[in-house]
Amino acid sequence: MSLLRSDLRLAWELTRGSDRGEWWRLTLTAAGAALATGFALAAVTLASLRGNTDVSVAAGLLDEPGTRSGVIVGLLLLLVPVLGFLGQCARIGAVHRDRRLAGLRLAGATPWQVRRIAALETGLACLLGSAVATVFSVLLLLRLWDRPNVLAWAGIALVAVAVPVLGAVTGALALRRVVASPLGWVRRVGPRGGRGPGLLFLAGILVVAGMALLTVATTSTAAADRPGGGPPLTMMGAVLAVGAGAVWLSGATARATGRILAVRARSAATLIAAERLRDDPWSAARTHAAVLLVTVVGTGFLGIRQVLGDVVRTEEHLAASESYYTTGLDLTGAAIVIAFAITLSGLAVGTAESLATRRRGLTAQAAAGVPRTVLGRALLLETALPLAPAVLLAGLGGMTIGTWYAALSGRPVPWATALVPLAVYAACLLAAATSLPLLRRTLRPGELRYA
Amino acid sequence: MSRPVPLLSASGLTKAHGRTPALRGASIELHAGEILAVTGASGSGKSTLLHCLAGIVRPDEGSVTYDGRRLEDLPEKRLSELRRTEFGVVFQFGQLIPELTALDNVALPLLLAGTDRARARARAAEWLERFGVRGQEESRPGEMSGGQAQRAALARALVTGPKVVFADEPTGALDSLSGEQVMTALVHTARESGAAVVLITHDAQVAAYADREVQLRDGAVAPLGVTA
Repeated sequence: MSLLRSDLRLAWELTRGSDRGEWWRLTLTAAGAALATGFALAAVTLASLRGNTDVSVAAGLLDEPGTRSGVIVGLLLLLVPVLGFLGQCARIGAVHRDRRLAGLRLAGATPWQVRRIAALETGLACLLGSAVATVFSVLLLLRLWDRPNVLAWAGIALVAVAVPVLGAVTGALALRRVVASPLGWVRRVGPRGGRGPGLLFLAGILVVAGMALLTVATTSTAAADRPGGGPPLTMMGAVLAVGAGAVWLSGATARATGRILAVRARSAATLIAAERLRDDPWSAARTHAAVLLVTVVGTGFLGIRQVLGDVVRTEEHLAASESYYTTGLDLTGAAIVIAFAITLSGLAVGTAESLATRRRGLTAQAAAGVPRTVLGRALLLETALPLAPAVLLAGLGGMTIGTWYAALSGRPVPWATALVPLAVYAACLLAAATSLPLLRRTLRPGELRYA
Repeated sequence: MSRPVPLLSASGLTKAHGRTPALRGASIELHAGEILAVTGASGSGKSTLLHCLAGIVRPDEGSVTYDGRRLEDLPEKRLSELRRTEFGVVFQFGQLIPELTALDNVALPLLLAGTDRARARARAAEWLERFGVRGQEESRPGEMSGGQAQRAALARALVTGPKVVFADEPTGALDSLSGEQVMTALVHTARESGAAVVLITHDAQVAAYADREVQLRDGAVAPLGVTA
């Protein structure tokens, strides 16, 4: 116990003495943990309902097990961009943090001590976020549901504990290379071509998929007149498959764009951006994959929404009330908007982190006379170049879904959805541009003074 | 007989980092083609002086004049252009872009000046050869030795034909042999091109390469022979 206390004190002292980046990381990690807890709590609460139930919200959408499973899967899918966001947060100040912890190892700390300190730093931030989200969620739940059942309480307790524990474990695992080689980390040369999608991120996706399978299997019962758990699970599988394809597509387009432009670049900004993409295409892919996933789902959904809305307005005999369908569409739309907002936040955090990591080098460039505008353009091009072809492809994929659904329903093709990829692209550039003021602040001559 | 007009001069420079004074009325002159070593103990204000002379930071008080122009009067854009075209800057390390090859790093200032990419790369290759980094053209900074990377950085600083080269502890992170190679290359090229050099160092062996040495003590130029 005293060992844990001393590690806790050391973790606190290290955090207290850190720069603003570390505080940003902890704050954003806590915010991400709060979002993850909120979505997971909503999912487990819905999963605790059995059979047909009269739920006072969502226009009857949550009354039947089949549609309820769809909502649960939707909530669990929202965890994917949150995981991506948390992954970006973990990278804030990663280089400095890794060096600091490697320094601890050099000073005589055991691998376990270093892991415990890292786990405590991340775990406590997740605990804070989880606690806040749990309190608010429980208060909201008690307003909607007089007496939640035992299963709901058990699920709430499980999520409230699991989020910080998973955060702590992730924090410890993220340090495996530092712990293995404390000396090697100080002078590290990254491999050309970068690393692929992180194992931790993939493990997180598998956990989400497993949870979806479990909840649908235990909550949905198929019957002759209503759908079982099949459609939501098919949707989940399709979205995750598209997501995996998006990671690959994003990495491949970033690598190809970098390779093609590096040879042909005529301006300094394009050359810097292209070589950076070629050097580590996966760095961009991690963030851009979520953008592509949202583009496919968002474009496809808007097409379906347009067609289905048309059907609901014009059909005289509907199986359920009009508000049942419109509420379902609105909830799905809201979920996509939330996912997009989280993805954009991740993109902005990722761009800012990329700047912070390279601040010494960038300051040296500025000192050698490279104009700030060139550095700013290179930063924007790193987002704009690989994203353009990838968003175009994702938009085409989404439009195909909408067109297929329109043909199925005998309705006109929803051409207006072609604007979605454009809007997504513009929003991504704006998110990346939020880092430009940081570039100005980053280029401080003080950076040239220290190693 | 009239004294020659200095190419670069600073008078009464003061600069504080927060509450800590770094320069307290430092004055210095640099003539065309001269190699000037600025020495002094750690914390004496050497790097801050270099940053002020190169227009990287603006002094709190005092003035820096280059070729008849007061740097304080120039906007940031013009200062950047000056550093890109008439100055060359070399630091201890970190000035090369890690994602670019040695060749592209050296070609970068030429690209920024509007030179065609192929011509820029051809000239960069000549400079890399001149600095003995031949065969490393397609290597990235992380794949080169410290000495090779520093010589590539020197090539980058000199490729535009600057009139003044600012070198802040250019051999500080190198072993003695690599340091000697870097200094020999710097001095030889500066003599050949007629560039003046401001060399910041705490190493007496490195300072010995200079034509003249000034010593900083507590942010001001001290008469030689007075130690910190």
